[in-house]
Amino acid sequence: MSAYSVNISVEAPVENQIQEITYDGQEIYTPPLTMSEHLTKLAQKIDFAKCGPEELNKEITEIDKNEDEAEQSTAPPLWPWDSVRNKLRNALTEVSVLADVLSIAKDKHYMVLDPVPQEPPELKPMVQVYARKKALAGAASVLLSGADRLKNLQAEALRNRTTPDFHIELLRLRQNFRLKKVSNSIVGDLSYRTAGSKFAQNGTFEVTKAEEDGDSPLSPPCSPNASLSNKPTSALRVTVPSELQGVAFIKVFFQKDQDSLTAAQLNLPSSSTANAIPDMYWQPKLEAAQNVLFCKELFNQLAKDAVQLQSPIPHIVVGNQIIASVLPGIQLVIGLCHSGVSTDGKTAVVPPSSNGHDHVLEHSLHQLLRELHHKNTHHPFPHPSSGPIGPSKRRRLAGPCAADREELMQMTQSETMLEQVIKQAQHINLRDRTLFVLDRLAKDIKDPLITSHWNALNSPTQSCVKINIVAHMYDTICRTSLLIHVNETTLKCITRDGRVIHMSYESQELRDFIMCQVYLHQMTAVQNLAKCMGWQCLANSAQLGVGAVEPFGNASSCVLASPTGERLISVRCEPKSGVHVTIAQSPRKDFFPGQLVKERKWENLGGSFKEVRWDKMEGKNFLNKMELLMASLTSS
Amino acid sequence: MNEMGVTTNSAFLCLFTSASAFGSPIVQMAQQTVNTAIDSLSAALKSNIIPNQEYFLQGSILDSSVEVLLHRLRGLCDNVDTTLETFHDHEMCFSIRGPNNAQPALQLRVRRSLDHNGMPMQLRYIGQPEIGDKSRPTVLRNSIDIGTSNTVVEFLTELGCRKDFEYLAKGYMFRKGRMKITVFKVFKIDETRKMSGGAFESLTALTHSYLVELSVLAPSGQDAIADDMRCFAEQLRPLVQLEKIDYKRLVHGP
Repeated sequence: MSAYSVNISVEAPVENQIQEITYDGQEIYTPPLTMSEHLTKLAQKIDFAKCGPEELNKEITEIDKNEDEAEQSTAPPLWPWDSVRNKLRNALTEVSVLADVLSIAKDKHYMVLDPVPQEPPELKPMVQVYARKKALAGAASVLLSGADRLKNLQAEALRNRTTPDFHIELLRLRQNFRLKKVSNSIVGDLSYRTAGSKFAQNGTFEVTKAEEDGDSPLSPPCSPNASLSNKPTSALRVTVPSELQGVAFIKVFFQKDQDSLTAAQLNLPSSSTANAIPDMYWQPKLEAAQNVLFCKELFNQLAKDAVQLQSPIPHIVVGNQIIASVLPGIQLVIGLCHSGVSTDGKTAVVPPSSNGHDHVLEHSLHQLLRELHHKNTHHPFPHPSSGPIGPSKRRRLAGPCAADREELMQMTQSETMLEQVIKQAQHINLRDRTLFVLDRLAKDIKDPLITSHWNALNSPTQSCVKINIVAHMYDTICRTSLLIHVNETTLKCITRDGRVIHMSYESQELRDFIMCQVYLHQMTAVQNLAKCMGWQCLANSAQLGVGAVEPFGNASSCVLASPTGERLISVRCEPKSGVHVTIAQSPRKDFFPGQLVKERKWENLGGSFKEVRWDKMEGKNFLNKMELLMASLTSS
Repeated sequence: MNEMGVTTNSAFLCLFTSASAFGSPIVQMAQQTVNTAIDSLSAALKSNIIPNQEYFLQGSILDSSVEVLLHRLRGLCDNVDTTLETFHDHEMCFSIRGPNNAQPALQLRVRRSLDHNGMPMQLRYIGQPEIGDKSRPTVLRNSIDIGTSNTVVEFLTELGCRKDFEYLAKGYMFRKGRMKITVFKVFKIDETRKMSGGAFESLTALTHSYLVELSVLAPSGQDAIADDMRCFAEQLRPLVQLEKIDYKRLVHGP
């Protein structure tokens, strides 16, 4: 070789693993694997489950043989693992192709996967027809059996017409009351909670099926044959809570001031009504229970108000009565009468004298409570709609309109029910008194006729009455009108000339006032009449300052002169003592020239006034008499 | 002292500092001895009586089926005896950005009623809705609203707010207990044909459907109402599905 070449020795690396290094540095190698051992090792790595069965058997048999046979039998012309390798290589190819196809198909740019249309399975029409027929027959049989059952039920129901079905009854009950199924029982609610009540008492009742055995509790004890009873039986029974059983109502009446407060329980006058509602039909029973609940809530609310309100004369709540003072000397008593309540032996107490029960006030109490309920539920809607529900319109405007503290406080104050009902009671009282006074006056005073027309429309706390004072047959000459507003404790009178007079509830004030008006009317009428007759009014005065002092009002007077001037009439009206009429005539009849007054001409000065005996005067009423007087004086 | 006159101003101060406002409990406060408006405001905040959270669910229904829904709501909700309550509102949405174009802009809504002219306008701030997970039945969001006088639009423009958009809502309102249910249609306003006096001559409906909303205003912490709302929403299925709607997902959709 050349001088520059280097000998390179090529060795295979140490293939055998070092088993042990002896202390003198000698390495002991593990003996290399024999062919069979090598084959075993390689074979263990391959998963032969994926190979074909023939190769599998061949390989297994090859492993089982000893090493010599193994060496010889696994000696096809090529490498023993060739077939395995080929198969693996094919598999790899297939898998790579599949991976490539999938990645290309995923992008959907060049390849898209489409389902291969399947061949529809071949139809065998007759088989289908038979299958459908069988299925329909099955369904038809189910329906027919159901229909048969219903027909039987209906036929049975038709036969027993008298006992209505439980379910139909339940349906009717459900149309009127809210029912709920709680575990095994049906429970209903007869309280006013959904209508806006906030009363805590429970109003639940239970609905059960009425027993149908021999001793049917449905039939009343008076008719022994239970099967045919004339009263309607019910298939369901309602059980009302014990505190709501019976009948209740609110008794409202007035009473004059009594020193001893009757602490007796108010009872219904006829306690037989307690058992009058039979146990059979549920509608009246539930309605009665609902009424009891309503009355209880009403009384509860009134009692709360009575305790909280501070009035000059405090309200008294005793047992089931509330005593409130309406006017000095008159009290309003509101009591809760509940029959069916097991009183402990107090039923023997005689109720106080059967005072007139005021139905109108009871009705307004019911209305007031309903109004309270209504206010609890009907809150005004917000406009615009994004606002909160709850505040009233005034409250919503309070912010932007800068309401001050006073206005806000006013918004929070509202009248309690008891206050409202007391106001109504006061008004009723005052109105009755006014009626009485006016009627009495109309009856007593015959001369000018007093007529009163009450307004048909009025509120629970205000009424109006129009009073006309006319003389009979002289209504065109003069008519005096007054308008009186009757409030709760005051009267307001508006006269035709614009005067407004406020009076208190004392009826004497009204009486005096009307009397004054009557005499003023007489005076005005006389003057009008004089105008008609041609007489002249020389002087008049509505509030006369001469003469005796009147106990009420003032005297009024006028002086009339005849057309020729020869006669004078002077009329003085006093509210207390009536009318005085005096006449005088101008040339004196009784003129005698004396020492002092010598000439005849002095007789022309008018004479003295002489009183007319008015009761002897002809004429139907004062104006008539005046007319006749004037006529007679004119002519003579 | 004119307490209520300070209301609008103090509410705005609070808007930019913390989420709180005067609400309906002023009446209770008026009955106590109140020293200053700020004192009463902090007292109200502490006692957690201001309803500043809104729980709500939304859904929609086609025009053809809205009559059925109205009948059903009339039966389910309170006060069957009163007539259907309609409303016709005009809502404008304003936004103002902080200095240096800070994101996100503060959005304020002004709503006025077109059929009840005397009622005050409503200024409203609505916070980000909290969708929550499956355990929360409704969407919860901060909501502060206050009644204002008619000058609020001028006031906002002077502050620097810009009007983003406006629309008209016309529909019906129902109430069940504390829950308020509104069924309304959104209309687009044609600016060119706006009549003098603020009335709108031409309205174009945006969709052929009605939007149904169920909402409750409550102080924070009263989560039990959300379950009641869900039970009520169940009763309206399958007419309308009231559910939590995530706006963010709607924005980023395809």
